Amino acid sequence: MGTSADTHVFLRSVRLFRNIEGPELGILADSLRERALKRGQVLLREGDSGDEMFLVRSGSLVISKAVTGRVEQVLARVGPGDFFGEMALFDRSPRSATISADNDAVLLVLDRAALAKLTEVSPRAAAAFFESLVLIFIERLRASGDLVAEVTRWGLEATGLDVETR
Amino acid sequence: MAEAPHAPPRRARLELLVRREDEGDGFELRQIGSGVAFVQSRPQRVAASSFELAEVASKVDGQHSFILKNTATDRFLLLSGPERFLWEQMDGRTSLQDIATAYVLRYGEFDFEIIPHLIRKLQRAQLLTMAPTSRLRQALARNRRQPVAKMAESALFALERVNISSRNVQPFFRGIYRWGGFLLFTRAAVVVCALLAVVGFAAGVRLWPDAERVVSGFGKSPLMAVISVKLLFLLTVGAHQLVHGLALIHYGRRVREFGFTFLHGFVPTFYVDVTDIFMGSRKARVVTAVSGALVHLVLGSVWLLVALRAPMGSFLQAFAAASGIIQWQAFVVALYPFCFIEMDGYHVLVDVLGIPTLKHDAIGYVGGLLRGRRPRRFTRETALFVGYVVVSTLSVAAFIAFNVWLIVHAT
Repeated sequence: MGTSADTHVFLRSVRLFRNIEGPELGILADSLRERALKRGQVLLREGDSGDEMFLVRSGSLVISKAVTGRVEQVLARVGPGDFFGEMALFDRSPRSATISADNDAVLLVLDRAALAKLTEVSPRAAAAFFESLVLIFIERLRASGDLVAEVTRWGLEATGLDVETR
Repeated sequence: MAEAPHAPPRRARLELLVRREDEGDGFELRQIGSGVAFVQSRPQRVAASSFELAEVASKVDGQHSFILKNTATDRFLLLSGPERFLWEQMDGRTSLQDIATAYVLRYGEFDFEIIPHLIRKLQRAQLLTMAPTSRLRQALARNRRQPVAKMAESALFALERVNISSRNVQPFFRGIYRWGGFLLFTRAAVVVCALLAVVGFAAGVRLWPDAERVVSGFGKSPLMAVISVKLLFLLTVGAHQLVHGLALIHYGRRVREFGFTFLHGFVPTFYVDVTDIFMGSRKARVVTAVSGALVHLVLGSVWLLVALRAPMGSFLQAFAAASGIIQWQAFVVALYPFCFIEMDGYHVLVDVLGIPTLKHDAIGYVGGLLRGRRPRRFTRETALFVGYVVVSTLSVAAFIAFNVWLIVHAT
């Protein structure tokens, strides 16, 4: 288990919190709780309810979406400094993907109450947080577009459909 | 890093997470390529004798359905009109890509699911085999713009279409069986075969110390001699297939086809359709598989006896000795199941084990292990897979080493 000071230091290295000043970051660090996962363990499944987002402190995880039977498509891998689960934090909708630990991992959990507290204590810090979040969202949206294109290309190649000459 | 302007496009890959059965939260990550092999594979429906197709009367105008029956397993499938069209394309010569194109031309649209769905359905009903195109063909296809590659590909394609065969061979095989072929399936034939094997082996042992003098009979053109030995051997493959057919007659089954073709476009071979034997007993299947290979044992022994009798250092002796070795080698290869080739011995093995897809499953399992996939729970089946791949790999290596040694020794 890391101490609050360790967490503070770690948060400084996370892009999402880069623009948040020290004191506010300290408040945030105090409100985070740690969660450990063993390799292969499922943190949450697609369709689960929840209102927390997770920061990866160590280890790596796989974000996947059910395709058929026991098969899921890997949407992304996340490692130290990455975060996920933020959508449920805002819209309370069921989890859109399953998260499984690829290696032993330690996560920091940020829940709705902690975010509300940050917003209340320091609107400026909250604004910095949301700005970083939006920038990362945009990157992810672009990556999703690339993934859709890759999957489409895969489908075309795998079925042998010669679109260019037909 | 940016790709070079003329570099071939990178093949798309999907990363999939596959949950393990009965292992709680365990999973494997698999990188799946866009299936070059899938695109270029040529699904082959089973022989015409192994299925029946009947149209289902429908009261709805324009709606036609078909019942496809696997006569070997008595499984039934319901096919739609488009699925029946695809089924007809699956002749083992048409790639999935061409089938998809044919489908588009016929129906003016393409359903991405219909072909994989149909393939899965047919495979489950044991009505289909997937024959991947060789790597050589893949390489030629990639370099089609080069005239030499295009010519080679065209030549292979043309050879592949060479198929001299007849489906009206039952009377022919019955005639041979009646006029003496039945003798091959008597106890006396088994005794003669065993005696010849012993005598032929003894002849080989006696010739072995003089091997250098024996092969010196090839004179100055040993390579040409070896090629002529191989060509003569090809004819005996016809005899091998003939005996398979006679075994079918012996067990009251039907020989549906006998012919000659170029396997993979460049391996000349005879073949016989023995699928009707699947309706027979296991003993019938084993005898059918083994009897063909025994042709090589008998001929090998005869050739070695000829070599022993021939003048030392003569061409006849060298030719006979080489033919004898090749025949015995063919006997071993045909009956030895551990060589990644689905020949007679392999079919006997999978029949006994009850795992018809042993080679495919074993290669897939061991390939996964080599790519770092975590092994499933250790079971008799997984042990079998690993054992099959290890023994086969060692066997193929030994076989290649033996042949290299033989050629080097002969030349």
